[in-house]
Amino acid sequence: MRRIAPVVMAGTLLLAAGCDGSGGATSSSAAFDPATCQGGTLAVLNQGGISHLDPARLYTSGGGNIPSLLFRTLTTRNRQPGEAGAKPAPDLATDLGTPSDGARTWTYKLRDGIFFEDGTPITSADIKYGIERSFAPELPGGAPYLRDWLQDAADYQGPYKQPEGIKAIETPDDKTIVFKLRKPEGDFPYLATATQFAPVPKAKDKGVGYEAHPISSGPYMVESYQPKKSLALVRNPHWSGKIDSLRYACPDRIEVTSGLDAAVINQRLVSGAGPDADAVTTDAVVGPEQLAQLGNGGPLDKQVARGEFPATYYLAFNTKKAPFDNEKVREAISYAVNRTSVVNALGGSTVAGPSTTFLPPQKTLGHQPYDYFPAGDNGDPAKAKQALADAGVTNLTIELAHENDDSQGLGPKVAAAVQEALKQAGITVKLTAIDAATYRDVTGKPATQPGLSLQYWGADWPSGGPFLIPIFDGRQIIKAGGNFNLAQYDDPAVNAEIDAINALTDQSQAQARWGALDAKIGKLALTVPLAYEKDVYLFGKNVKNAVPDGWRGTYDLARISVK
Amino acid sequence: MTVLRRLRGDRGFLAGAVVALLMVLVAVAAPLLAAAAGQDYTTYHDNLLDSARGGVPLGRFGGLGAEHWLGVEPATGRDLFARVVYGARVSLGVAVGATLLQVLFGVLVGTAAGLGGRWADAALTRVVDLVLAVPSLVLAISLLAIVPTDWPRPLLLAAVIAILGWGGTARITRGETLSLRTRDYVAAARLSGAGRFRIARREIAPGLAAPVLTYAALLLPTNMISEAGLSFLGVGVRPPTPSWGQMLSTATTWFRADPMYVLVPGGLLFLTLLAFVLVANGLRRALDPRQSEVLR
Repeated sequence: MRRIAPVVMAGTLLLAAGCDGSGGATSSSAAFDPATCQGGTLAVLNQGGISHLDPARLYTSGGGNIPSLLFRTLTTRNRQPGEAGAKPAPDLATDLGTPSDGARTWTYKLRDGIFFEDGTPITSADIKYGIERSFAPELPGGAPYLRDWLQDAADYQGPYKQPEGIKAIETPDDKTIVFKLRKPEGDFPYLATATQFAPVPKAKDKGVGYEAHPISSGPYMVESYQPKKSLALVRNPHWSGKIDSLRYACPDRIEVTSGLDAAVINQRLVSGAGPDADAVTTDAVVGPEQLAQLGNGGPLDKQVARGEFPATYYLAFNTKKAPFDNEKVREAISYAVNRTSVVNALGGSTVAGPSTTFLPPQKTLGHQPYDYFPAGDNGDPAKAKQALADAGVTNLTIELAHENDDSQGLGPKVAAAVQEALKQAGITVKLTAIDAATYRDVTGKPATQPGLSLQYWGADWPSGGPFLIPIFDGRQIIKAGGNFNLAQYDDPAVNAEIDAINALTDQSQAQARWGALDAKIGKLALTVPLAYEKDVYLFGKNVKNAVPDGWRGTYDLARISVK
Repeated sequence: MTVLRRLRGDRGFLAGAVVALLMVLVAVAAPLLAAAAGQDYTTYHDNLLDSARGGVPLGRFGGLGAEHWLGVEPATGRDLFARVVYGARVSLGVAVGATLLQVLFGVLVGTAAGLGGRWADAALTRVVDLVLAVPSLVLAISLLAIVPTDWPRPLLLAAVIAILGWGGTARITRGETLSLRTRDYVAAARLSGAGRFRIARREIAPGLAAPVLTYAALLLPTNMISEAGLSFLGVGVRPPTPSWGQMLSTATTWFRADPMYVLVPGGLLFLTLLAFVLVANGLRRALDPRQSEVLR
């Protein structure tokens, strides 16, 4: 239950982003028809290199953008704009799974006519083997949920050391796979979108070397792959659109180039010279240069996709450390922050919006509006001073930890905006810059965790659970490191409510209760929510159907056409 | 007096000197200037920004007007005039501090090498070679990245730039000392029983003044570039303290959307550097040791 760190995403090739669909791509998709969209070469220009291509090592939300071209999973994201896209859909399985034993057991049936790129039929054993590999210490990097959820799998060391496999995954026949969980998990169909649920043929597994050419089950297969530099994909002859209606697979060829500067990528997409007219990006959000040219009816307005990946930027208190053990001090800071300045520091109202709730505003997460420390978007220094006076605190000086660069939105720009707003309330803030590469390690270990730090949390899938559990479940306080419950908040009543909601398989019921739980915890000012994320991506002028999906907020490479 | 007369007749030097002096005045009087403008360098003005377009300043020329004489900074709305005058303090202060340290260090080591015995000379010359050979930018970034963040940054910047850049002064001083010590008046002093320290102080030091002053004047703009470079790379002063290099670094993503934000710190940096180079060249022409030899 970790956040999808943008760092992780850049490193492993998954690109954060979610969606509202209201903006979307406009005129260029008008003539789009999935039946006749085939042909051409799509260029993908990215900042972050693909450092791993092994399905066991990828940390994706909804299966990722590029990985989802190669790997079909048990379920996948629905690939629709708006709220409809924030739901899972069957992929290799025939449905979203049948829960039994109070959502402790999940049973899936596989489709007919599914093959690997070499023509071998895909069986349930291949999916089981793929999951078991992701437990191997040689192949780290994937989401940690399965280790927590599966019965007696917490200490499993992968099929290389323990070939007997995981008993909690049963494959009674080639078409059936059954998961036995140690606790009810209504969100299992969401988790089954992750690349760990992609089939891996045991005969072709080369361990660490497998990622040089992972065996494809999706519409494309690897032609050439240079880690962190480039990836070329060609059509997989054994994939058929008839048994995969979600992926349109329009281009004949896809070429990914990594290691480019965001400003360069966006400039190339704007100019659209030569092959750049058929180009997209999955990780370079639009910069100020392009924002200045958007929204005025110019030609660039037809080359932009706007979505929302559910994510929150916030200030995290360590409530075990003075003065943040004092609720009034936390309230004072909640009153003092200027969310307008923070939004501007993040790139303006086109790419971020002010937020007073920990859950971002997407309905699928169960968002309920609340604002317990009303101070408007610009902050209220007078109320903050009053709260400090009530607490009997004078001349408050605090330290704020932040990353040393701005690329993830947790850098000096946002920190300076917070510093200035707190100064208006008489609070002196000293900024502590921490190297971005080790930031998570420092803040995620209670022994080294600073009292106050800038944080970001994105949804592993569009539901309230993966948003609230890692942050507020007292049983998730991890002393050894990798902790995200930075408030170190442990309330048995809240923990019990989390278990009760996890057992729900009805998403609308679960949504309402996640929202209510967020609204309840919000009163304690354990965090100061600052802003939520909006995603604006450009695409080349020949690109069609670049519609952001409701799960990730960016356009889906499996549905884009360049013909 | 020939020196002053020559300087007065040198138009390039005069122009440079006026601008350089002006910049120094601006740096010294930064709080007064900001107060005169009714602004400070930290206050955010979110209402002056077009947030939907990434936070570019509203209005023409980066929000330039009677309130904000040079407009406001994009994304924050901080007053640009206040930030550049305070930025001048960091840019000039660090450069001057680093230059003083470099001259002090270089002259001490250079004269010691020039007057010391053969072994002392060889050892010190090797040390200077080592300093000159070190890839200074890489080392500066590493040094600045590892020191605790609560150390005073401008002092630290000056020290790091000085530590990595005193080699040139030392070399010039040594060469000059070697040539001066063979002069008749130095030999006379030695014969009359003067000790090494006395010779260094009374006979050599006055002769060093001209070349060292010239070299220092050339070092100053180089040090300014170093400071701007380090701040540009993000290891300079900490926010909210402004510096021209740091402003230019932020400005790279804004050069089309808000050209003013690049032009103001960039233009000032260019102007100041040009002024100091003109001053240095004027000094070199006026003080050139070979020419003065001929005249004497």
